[in-house]
Amino acid sequence: MKKLFYKLCILLPLFVFCLLTTNYFYVKYYYWSNAEAIDAKLLFTQDSLENCSDVLYYAESSNATAANTDTCLQSISQIIDSLSPLKVNAVDHGAIHARTFLQLIKNLKTDSKVKTIIVTLNSRSFGSPWINSHLETNIAQANVMYEPNLPIFKRIKLSFNGYDNKSIQLRDQDLEKDWSSVKLNVPESFPYKTVRQWDNAMAKGTYLLPNGEWDMPKITLACHYIKTYAFPIDLNTNPRIKDFDEIVYIAKQKNIKLIFHLLAENVQYADSLVGKELVNIMHQNKQLLIDRYHKDGVTVVNSFELVNGLDFIDQDWTTEHYNQTGRLALAKNVLKYLQ
Amino acid sequence: MLFNSLHFLLFFPIVTILFYLLKHKWRWILLFIASTYFYSAFYLPYILILYAIIIVDYFCGLLIEKRQGKVKLFWLLFSIISNIGLLAYFKYFNFFIDIFHVFVPQKLHHLDILLPIGLSFHTFQSLSYTIEVYKGNQKAEKHLGYFANYVLFFPQMVAGPIEKYSTLGKELRAKHKFKYKNISNGLRLILYGLFVKMCIADNLAPLVNEFYLNPTHYYSSSAWIALFAFSIQIYADFYGYSTIAIGAAALLGINLMDNFKQPYFASSFYQFWQKWHISLTTWFRNYVFFPLGGSYVNSFRWVFNILLVFSLSGFWHGANYTFIIWGFLHGLFYLLEKGLVKFYPETIRQNVFFKFLGANITFILVTLIWVFFRAENFDKAILVLSQCFTYGFDASLNLKISFELISMLVIFLLLEIAIFNTRVDHFFKNSHVIFRWTGYIILIISLLLFSGIQSFQFIYFQF
Repeated sequence: MKKLFYKLCILLPLFVFCLLTTNYFYVKYYYWSNAEAIDAKLLFTQDSLENCSDVLYYAESSNATAANTDTCLQSISQIIDSLSPLKVNAVDHGAIHARTFLQLIKNLKTDSKVKTIIVTLNSRSFGSPWINSHLETNIAQANVMYEPNLPIFKRIKLSFNGYDNKSIQLRDQDLEKDWSSVKLNVPESFPYKTVRQWDNAMAKGTYLLPNGEWDMPKITLACHYIKTYAFPIDLNTNPRIKDFDEIVYIAKQKNIKLIFHLLAENVQYADSLVGKELVNIMHQNKQLLIDRYHKDGVTVVNSFELVNGLDFIDQDWTTEHYNQTGRLALAKNVLKYLQ
Repeated sequence: MLFNSLHFLLFFPIVTILFYLLKHKWRWILLFIASTYFYSAFYLPYILILYAIIIVDYFCGLLIEKRQGKVKLFWLLFSIISNIGLLAYFKYFNFFIDIFHVFVPQKLHHLDILLPIGLSFHTFQSLSYTIEVYKGNQKAEKHLGYFANYVLFFPQMVAGPIEKYSTLGKELRAKHKFKYKNISNGLRLILYGLFVKMCIADNLAPLVNEFYLNPTHYYSSSAWIALFAFSIQIYADFYGYSTIAIGAAALLGINLMDNFKQPYFASSFYQFWQKWHISLTTWFRNYVFFPLGGSYVNSFRWVFNILLVFSLSGFWHGANYTFIIWGFLHGLFYLLEKGLVKFYPETIRQNVFFKFLGANITFILVTLIWVFFRAENFDKAILVLSQCFTYGFDASLNLKISFELISMLVIFLLLEIAIFNTRVDHFFKNSHVIFRWTGYIILIISLLLFSGIQSFQFIYFQF
């Protein structure tokens, strides 16, 4: 035991020295290439933008995705920038969510030029399909790179699976469990209490073609709307709530003005494809988010129903991708709160 | 819980400290709780399957020992059917349904369930106990806790080595004192195991996956690189796991058997199977090959036995024809080799040059056969093999190998040569202090800087 103790007394300082030396070489030769390899490029983006921007717009693909038919390809943040006297830049990347925004915001330097941050509040991201998405492992991995830690610690965390790397099978299982067991906020008289019940009922031929056959594309889309938007938000357990709460806390600490931009969803299609029960759930969730963050003193820009159904780029899926009309409407809405 | 996770790096030191702080009579409880926690971290409900195996085989062991004749046989069969039944349900059900559909048009639904991690390992280990009790080689364990720990023991529960009760049971019962030697040897093994898994296997995995996704996009040179890369990847992955397992057990003073002895240096298929996944080979030899008559049968039957055992061992790995073909081909080459060897006198067989040649031929053939193990189906395997020889007329891509990966492979190769016929802990222990510490530092820095950035589950966890 004594021998081990003496050895530890020599080894521990030696280990710390090795760690710091390795950190130096890691940053010099591998850090950035590692960040690129796991698609954590926002690390460079934020670094390069925070000293030349008044406002940073944190978003997922909703910001920049454009339709093939668009004549103007400007992103929402670029439109805001062009219409505002302030310099607005985007820190955006497809499929990311509040956890990534949180880590990035933590990294904002204290002497940064940025005085306002706008963070997209995507109500769909609070649902189980996104929380248990197959992309989640990759996002969690990239988030490790965004953490405000010593680079070598981030590398160790990546090497030793220090992030949520559940298998796809387990994620699917968790999703199915939520769909089958979580009770929806629907009236007593409504026959379907869970997503699975509702989805099964919808799948059994709600829509028929004139020739008597099932209209499968329409049924598939309706089912998808149910699975995507029919969920209650539990304020105590939902991971997105925790992340957005922390964003509020960090912004206050850093003395940065925080704006949440509640993104538009295709409520029109939800209504026409599924019905008022789904729209009610979507509205309940929207209101819950607005109330929660208003209470915390955050400016919430409500764009929830601002975009017409036809101005969504993906007509056969649920996304927050808008054509140029939609993007312009959203940008103008944000602008009102920025000035 | 993965060995190469922060979770394990936190869990294991706590268990080790508690293990040595506790009195011997309480240690089995600690190991039982730790093993349950370790397995539950993968997927909590499946711990019940392990408990079921423990209960069934514990009572079967007692009943087999007490009874005689047909009743004794009944309890052995009960244990075998229960274990194999579990395996058949979770692992092979969908495969058999597919076969059923070939003959019967009526559609049966596939099971949409997760395969419990390491099920093939703990069923085989537990089965070896009841078989040994039946044969009279092993006394039935009266203490349910010790028996539970034999099935559950966390360092080796999900991917072996598959131990007999006569060895692991004795180790679990023994009173282990804290010894510096055990700690240093255990840490050496864990360090090397982590290096092999994280710096070699995890760095080769993306390369192999990239190729197997679209083999026709790559030149034949890339196809060969991918084939050799997988050969090394699967070895590094499983060898790395086994080394960490042996190291973790050694820290607790418990000796586990070696599962690998540099199999790619084997100069024949016969030698290869004496060095690769030794515990599984031993299991099949003792519980399938010998009961079939072993070598004491006529030539035709012997050939049949060999091919059957190898094919079964392939099927053990996964519910797919490709695994059976993989096993069958190993059996076939084993037999061809046995036939050829007779024509060469002993002096030639012992010649260094012929041994070197044999090692190269064996490695290349084993590498080619691995294609059936890796490919998702037979067609893909044939496509991959044809890509090696067609010079890929439609191909446009080359696999890129970084300088860092080549450096890691060179370090690995040098260390494997250095530890030939010994084990890495013994090798380091007997090395000069400067050489030893240089080795540690190289391994640690490699782990910190060059370990695979993407995480890949241990390949053998799925079996």
